[in-house]
Amino acid sequence: MIDPAALISDTADGPFRVDRSLFTDPAIFDLEMRHIFERSWVFLGMESQVAKPGDMLTTWLGRQPVLVTRNVDGKLSALLNSCRHKGARLVQTEHAHASLIVCPYHAWTYALDGQLRGIKDRASGCYAKSFADESHDLLALAQVDSYRGMIFGTLDPDERPLSEHLGETRPLIDLIMDQGEHGMELVPGRTAYMFDGNWKLQVENGMDPYHLTSTHGSFIHIVAQRTAAVTAMAAIKSRDFRETVTANGGAFGFEHGHGAVWIDNHTPEQKPINLTIDALRDRVGIARAQWMLNFRNLVLFPNVQLADSESLLLRVIRPRSVDRTEMRLYCLAPIGEPAAARTMRLRQHEDFFNASGLATPDDSAMYEECQIGFAAAGDCLQGYDRGIGATTRTPDEAAISLGIRPCENVSGPFKIQSELQYRPFYREWRRRMSEGLSRDSTAAAEAAE
Amino acid sequence: MTPHDLVITEAALLDERRWDEWLELYSVDCVFWAPAWIDEERPTTDPLAELSLIYYTSRDGLSDRVDRIRSGTSLASTPLARTAHAVTGLRTLADDGCRCRIASSFGVDVLDVRTQRSHRLFGRYRHDLVKIDDRWRIAEKYVLVLNDLLPGVVDVYSI
Repeated sequence: MIDPAALISDTADGPFRVDRSLFTDPAIFDLEMRHIFERSWVFLGMESQVAKPGDMLTTWLGRQPVLVTRNVDGKLSALLNSCRHKGARLVQTEHAHASLIVCPYHAWTYALDGQLRGIKDRASGCYAKSFADESHDLLALAQVDSYRGMIFGTLDPDERPLSEHLGETRPLIDLIMDQGEHGMELVPGRTAYMFDGNWKLQVENGMDPYHLTSTHGSFIHIVAQRTAAVTAMAAIKSRDFRETVTANGGAFGFEHGHGAVWIDNHTPEQKPINLTIDALRDRVGIARAQWMLNFRNLVLFPNVQLADSESLLLRVIRPRSVDRTEMRLYCLAPIGEPAAARTMRLRQHEDFFNASGLATPDDSAMYEECQIGFAAAGDCLQGYDRGIGATTRTPDEAAISLGIRPCENVSGPFKIQSELQYRPFYREWRRRMSEGLSRDSTAAAEAAE
Repeated sequence: MTPHDLVITEAALLDERRWDEWLELYSVDCVFWAPAWIDEERPTTDPLAELSLIYYTSRDGLSDRVDRIRSGTSLASTPLARTAHAVTGLRTLADDGCRCRIASSFGVDVLDVRTQRSHRLFGRYRHDLVKIDDRWRIAEKYVLVLNDLLPGVVDVYSI
């Protein structure tokens, strides 16, 4: 019997330990799908991907195929992408545009909001009278909502509103979405790749400052070499981590499972937005413009990451099984940014974030090695101990400057390379898993009576 | 070396890890371009405004890769995957004696020796060659990787 609370050892101002079965037990994976992905707010896509009535996108909420549509009245619907007749996936492509949803199997037809509009040859089908009394509308997610163009959905009608779930992370999302005077867009072209490791390895790595100088030693060396030799590649101005390690930085832990890390940026010329920095400062103010230049990684519970560091990345984690994960990467950019900025942004994204770049492959290799290493018997608890000695529970100077109230934070020299930012994720994991198991066992007991 | 020989030789040099000779096949200001996919039907076509897998406008981009492979500090590159390129269906699309364009298909079997897992990357090449000092050199290599959900390491030696 899995006891989530027993798998997380959480002592205030002390060791924080997570049992490695979280990464290796297929039973825990199934429970995560059920109690985390099929209950929490899960990122579904960007509003800009379904901008016009009739636009549709397909995605996943845990194991469940989802269809997001823009209705004629401008509202979004988030539906289960499965025909009510025989279950066939209704829209098979990443994007589609149509005024009705028609199943290719037996042509059952639905409106964009999921309401049944037609059954082929219904009149001649000799259906039982009771058939008309049942709803054959597409099943919908319980809630769909968006924040700053990011669409989220949940299967749980009782889940707290999205604004509450995102909570204090919203100003950090704003720091990204306000970079474009005319809004933000996804650059055409997306990449996807697999790794043989548990999805939570990526959750962590998306806010891990500690691995930069070791895992990405080869990237740091290549960038340094480009600068020293002034090669043609120096023009893309990829981030020089040698500057990073002497800067100040910090970490935030947020309620509801989110985490973030930040580092001061002493090489602003490395960022595409620096090309229009005067206009940016005029529009958002000097302090916010500086925060936009600073490096920030935000990880929203459970599975979406925004990295504003080496280019601006939107990264979605799709767990496939306990030791297999699918990643989907998009480049976010200000609409109408200068061509030179766009080109720089793309080259940096390709250099660092792409699975075909000089950094992400080393992360994926590392996850796979962790997954292999997890099979070692012996001490099954792993710790998240860095930064704990300097953690405070009132907003620090960085938090105040950002206008956020994290539940805990740490800041100082980059070399702290905090691990506090992982703790909210596992606390929220523990809460949802425990509540979920308890709900299931109550339901089973009631059913037995 | 004829243009067709060069295309085949390039693949062999990668499999044999003869990096310096491989780099020498490229002109200094070469373009190496592997687009990304927009959706099921369309790859990106404008590398200045749309995402690519790899886009370089200088041989320095390729030599950076070789340096990283040799560094010993990239876990994805050490130990290095074993690769076997199969380049087929070579067609000369244009040849005026100074410049030529060769289209072909490729398949690369890649064995990740760390995990003993293999995968295959496949697609189409378009090589634009120029005569420099009486030798054919690669001015542009366009690599359309038909895989979309990438199964493992994608680097200049595995596509």
